[in-house]
Amino acid sequence: MIKALTLLNDKRVRDWIYQIALVVALVGLTVFFVRNASENMVKAGIASGFDFLWRNSGIDVPFVLTDYTRASPIIDLFWVGVVNTLLVTAVALVLATALGFIVGIARLSSHWLLSTIAGAYIEFVRNIPLLFFVLFWYFGVIAALPAPRDSVNVFGVAFLNNRGLTIPLPDAPANFRWALAAILLSWLAHALVSVWARRRKDRTGQDAPMLAIGLVLIVIVPALAATWASLATRWDIPVLRGFNYRGGFVIIPEFVALLAALVTYTAGFIAEIVRGGIQAVPHGQVEAASALGLRPGRILRLVTIPQALRVMIPPLTNQYLNVLKNSSFGAAIAYPDVVSLFMGSALNNTGQAIEIIAMTLAVYLVIGLAVSAFMNWYNARIALVTR
Amino acid sequence: MSAIVAPVWRRRLFGTPATGVVTILLALALAWLAIPIIRWALIDATWRGTTRADCVAGGACWVFVKARFGQFMYGLYPQDQRWRADLTGILFVLGTAAVVFAPQRLRLKAGIAALIILPPLGIWLLGGGFGLRWIETREWGGLMLTLFISVYASLIAIPFGILLALGRQSELRIVRLISVLFIEFWRGVPIIAVIFLASLLLPLILPGGIGIDRLARAVIGLGLVIAAYMAEAVRGGLQALPPGQREAATALGLTYWKATGLIILPQALRISLPAMTNEFIALVKNTTLVLVVSILDLLGIAQASLADPAWVGMNMEAYVFSGSIYWLICFALSRWSRHLELLGRRRHR
Repeated sequence: MIKALTLLNDKRVRDWIYQIALVVALVGLTVFFVRNASENMVKAGIASGFDFLWRNSGIDVPFVLTDYTRASPIIDLFWVGVVNTLLVTAVALVLATALGFIVGIARLSSHWLLSTIAGAYIEFVRNIPLLFFVLFWYFGVIAALPAPRDSVNVFGVAFLNNRGLTIPLPDAPANFRWALAAILLSWLAHALVSVWARRRKDRTGQDAPMLAIGLVLIVIVPALAATWASLATRWDIPVLRGFNYRGGFVIIPEFVALLAALVTYTAGFIAEIVRGGIQAVPHGQVEAASALGLRPGRILRLVTIPQALRVMIPPLTNQYLNVLKNSSFGAAIAYPDVVSLFMGSALNNTGQAIEIIAMTLAVYLVIGLAVSAFMNWYNARIALVTR
Repeated sequence: MSAIVAPVWRRRLFGTPATGVVTILLALALAWLAIPIIRWALIDATWRGTTRADCVAGGACWVFVKARFGQFMYGLYPQDQRWRADLTGILFVLGTAAVVFAPQRLRLKAGIAALIILPPLGIWLLGGGFGLRWIETREWGGLMLTLFISVYASLIAIPFGILLALGRQSELRIVRLISVLFIEFWRGVPIIAVIFLASLLLPLILPGGIGIDRLARAVIGLGLVIAAYMAEAVRGGLQALPPGQREAATALGLTYWKATGLIILPQALRISLPAMTNEFIALVKNTTLVLVVSILDLLGIAQASLADPAWVGMNMEAYVFSGSIYWLICFALSRWSRHLELLGRRRHR
């Protein structure tokens, strides 16, 4: 009795008792939920397990980049959703970062009107729900575009109308594989040259003309390769037949609307991150650099941006993950992403709620972890090295 | 007056030739963009009338908003019962004001009393029973529902978020692990998926026969996700406190919960308040997602009103009106949060 009391007076023992109690309570709750779920599923006549993934899907998808047809198994439908989610996320990331940097730097401009307009843009998009933008672009803007007959003509090869953006499609993709190989090779060459240039600079202090080399290897060579490939290929250019365009590839309006919404919305947040990052660099750094005789362009490139980037990476990672998660807003306008295809259509058809929800959430958690890991690695690489 | 102002503006806008060129280009772009919008929204707009036929000018048809104002505010809530929604709103505002302006020594008690009395009272007033007419949540909607979801989801999220943040900072290893897993899981998945999940799984994991209201499912789902985000906001405040605070409290003989309640949280929450307000803004914006489970909040009502055959082609009017309300609410909150941040920074000096 007395021994038990002394044991209870030991803080470590008490801590373990609390923790064990918590674990027992959580396990109990989980068991309760799982038992209810299995009972309810038996009542509803749903068999649990992942066998349904190999059943015929029978669902038509308007926007497919894989070789999915409605005769494919449900697992293929899942991959179509994942690919569509990744596609809109990737394009939105690039465009939102570009627009965000432009707006963020404009916000810091010494020009009063420019900085005010950028500020108004930021305050406007940040205080309105993203779903509003998605619906607005879809039902407000895209729906108001002309019918295919009066499409907006983009250089005679692409056509924008209320059924989406019709773009030309190459007949033979072989040339593009060669072009892609050439581009990758030239980027690899650039990476090697820059490693060599840095080593040489460490040894001799001499600068290599990296800007010119980069321009050639990163921009000009790929541009030439792409031009050659597109000239050497026959293009399937869309033609108006009756009420709609034939040929080419249709980028569905849902994609265009979701992309526009994600980009305009996220750019407002990225702009604030860029502004914060640049303002976080102490002004003495810029003064010291100009006292050393660096020109403004070089100060921005060699002093301000490397230090601002260090502040910007963690919040930028958060925004990138937000874009991934926010791409699911497409479900509201039936963009066929993983949530609307798999958690919507497939779940309705099969009723396998638990398995489907688990798989869908796993997609986001796995990609999220991968992005966080990459950004942490990158952050560690550019972090300040202190002794 | 103009003699003082003019030189400043001339320097700002036309200080150097380059500045002048940029000013002119921007002004042209602004005019090109703004003039059609102003013409549409104000000059060519129709303000008076009752039906679609009154809108002939070609501009915005604000008659539509006027005719459907009640729906935008209350959804399909029966017209003769709307005073109940108003009363709930007034009671919540008065209750909050009473807590904020109560004398220091009564504030905690007033706050606890408000937390115990107000939420059930609100549900009773809106939902009915005990002498009031029963109104199903299916009929709730509009701005009223947006505010309802925001307030009730944060009633779940704030206490739960504080507990999770404390758990994440706890020295008990298992508690810390569980809190981290919970927080990172909910922060890693899209909110739209959580709302789907709540509406599909909650009825499944409860004992058969217990029905759970559609709206309640959405509120619980949102509450859980926002709790994880709130926890991160509170963690910022907890980490900003010097460890000496807890050590001193422990040395004085306070237990963990006493030290937390009397020393740690009052200081940490004051630091976290701006971040928590930002999470609340995110919550207000995310309430719109209940649209995917066919609950019609303000944006949902605007979207649903587009299908009315008596008012074809009112997309822009519906969006502009509902969008401005969201903007006003969120902008006011974000200004308040910025004000709190400045206040806190000044106090620290």
